[in-house]
Amino acid sequence: MLTPAELVWLLAAVAKGDEAAFERLYAATRAKLYGVVLRILHRQDLAEEVVQETYVKVWNNAAQFNPAVSSPITWMAAIARNRAIDLVRKRGELSLEDEPSALEVAAETPDPLARREMSEELKRLLECVGQLEPDRQKLVLLAYYNGWSREQLATKFEAPVNTVKTWLRRSMMDIRQCLGLG
Amino acid sequence: MAYSEDHIALAAEYALGTLDAAERAQVETMMAVDVNFSALVQAWEFRLGPLNQMVGLVEPRPELWERIKAEIARLRATAGVDPEAVAEAPVIVAAAEPAAAESPAADTPKLEAPGVEAAEIEVAQTDAPVETAPQNAPVEAPATAWRNASAVHAVTHNNANVVQLSSKVRQWRAVANVMTALAAALLALVGVQVYRPEVLPQQLRSKPRIQTVEVKVPAAPQPSAQFVALLQKDAASPAFILTVDATSKSYTVRRVGAAPEAGKSFELWLVSDKLQKPRSLGVIGGSDFTSRPVLSAYDADTVSRATYAVTVEPEGGSPTGQATGPIVFTGKLIETVPPGR
Repeated sequence: MLTPAELVWLLAAVAKGDEAAFERLYAATRAKLYGVVLRILHRQDLAEEVVQETYVKVWNNAAQFNPAVSSPITWMAAIARNRAIDLVRKRGELSLEDEPSALEVAAETPDPLARREMSEELKRLLECVGQLEPDRQKLVLLAYYNGWSREQLATKFEAPVNTVKTWLRRSMMDIRQCLGLG
Repeated sequence: MAYSEDHIALAAEYALGTLDAAERAQVETMMAVDVNFSALVQAWEFRLGPLNQMVGLVEPRPELWERIKAEIARLRATAGVDPEAVAEAPVIVAAAEPAAAESPAADTPKLEAPGVEAAEIEVAQTDAPVETAPQNAPVEAPATAWRNASAVHAVTHNNANVVQLSSKVRQWRAVANVMTALAAALLALVGVQVYRPEVLPQQLRSKPRIQTVEVKVPAAPQPSAQFVALLQKDAASPAFILTVDATSKSYTVRRVGAAPEAGKSFELWLVSDKLQKPRSLGVIGGSDFTSRPVLSAYDADTVSRATYAVTVEPEGGSPTGQATGPIVFTGKLIETVPPGR
């Protein structure tokens, strides 16, 4: 994985139509994006479709990327996650039987860089997530990593959907406050 | 613009991913019409994004890259629109101040990587990154061509994109049903953008290249019903934002997507089950804004419930008064609280 600064440079080049830069960007980020969407979609064909759409969008919209408000990988992963979540919401919910595979998708290649160097932002975020009650921590992380809907979370936590909604909202507000944002 | 806790929570849940399809469509609508709300959502995406560091890498199959290249080449092959159109279309980006304040450039690159120049680090912190990025990518012409390709894609592949009106209607009803008071604030902003741009900070002003066709612009917004619709082929790619003022019976269309192909025009139609056939509301999209006070022929109920559809027609509009080209974008109006509230 390249550094964020290198990815910023590549995106700027892609915005100008540099195909070689686009190929390098793909090589540097494909396994991360594919890993992110596969966790949500559990299906190779759907995950590939979403990753393809994501890179086409990155090619078209690279000029919209603003390093002042995001990092390249976060920006690209957000595009991919949003496509993946739109897809699962529109297709109807995946059943909970899919859960086991969701937790250990494929044979995840160990990602030494990502595991070794947790960014300061991640440490801070995890600190804040860690201040939530254990159940709420799980709730937030299952939602983020697996793309679960409130209904799926409600089944998992054996709680009414409206309660889950309240928990999610409160958790996000707690995280916001903990990060010093409000 | 300060957002309520409801706005903030909605943006957060969008970024987290827990909203249902209708709520997601609602958020996408709000993002398209309100750059500040879009910035709020992106701030949340950025805030939660570090969680992806914990996701393991999974290699996709090699043929995926071939498919991506082929898709981009295909888009490129359909290029050929006015290059200015794409460049000048107001793009919804999240460069607005509130988000910048909420999410400082936290992911400042670390200096640990060999070969990363200081100049490149600077890029990550500047506000106008793309223009000031290192000049190592001097390939200008293809950039224009490729980018146009995507714009024209929306138009030239209209057979594939012809929208199923009925399903669109359902979708928009669903969106309308979940639209709440949340919409009020942002719609007020849209109203202000259209009617009182001078009161907004520079970043929020729309480029005022107004194509005037007997525009009736109220000097001060009267409290009257305001409606807004996104005319689009899917939730991700709005082409026009349509606002309707019930008092003046006028509409304003703001172009946010591609300009029409050379030799073609976009024409707006009102489609209602109360009318035997679609009625033309005129050619739109020739410039950033088009306003026309042409809705007085229709009662309020027809206007508010109609589907608005955009077709591709010969330059200057349909010669017959009936739509001759395929529908490329559609939308339904959502009623909003008047800005003068």
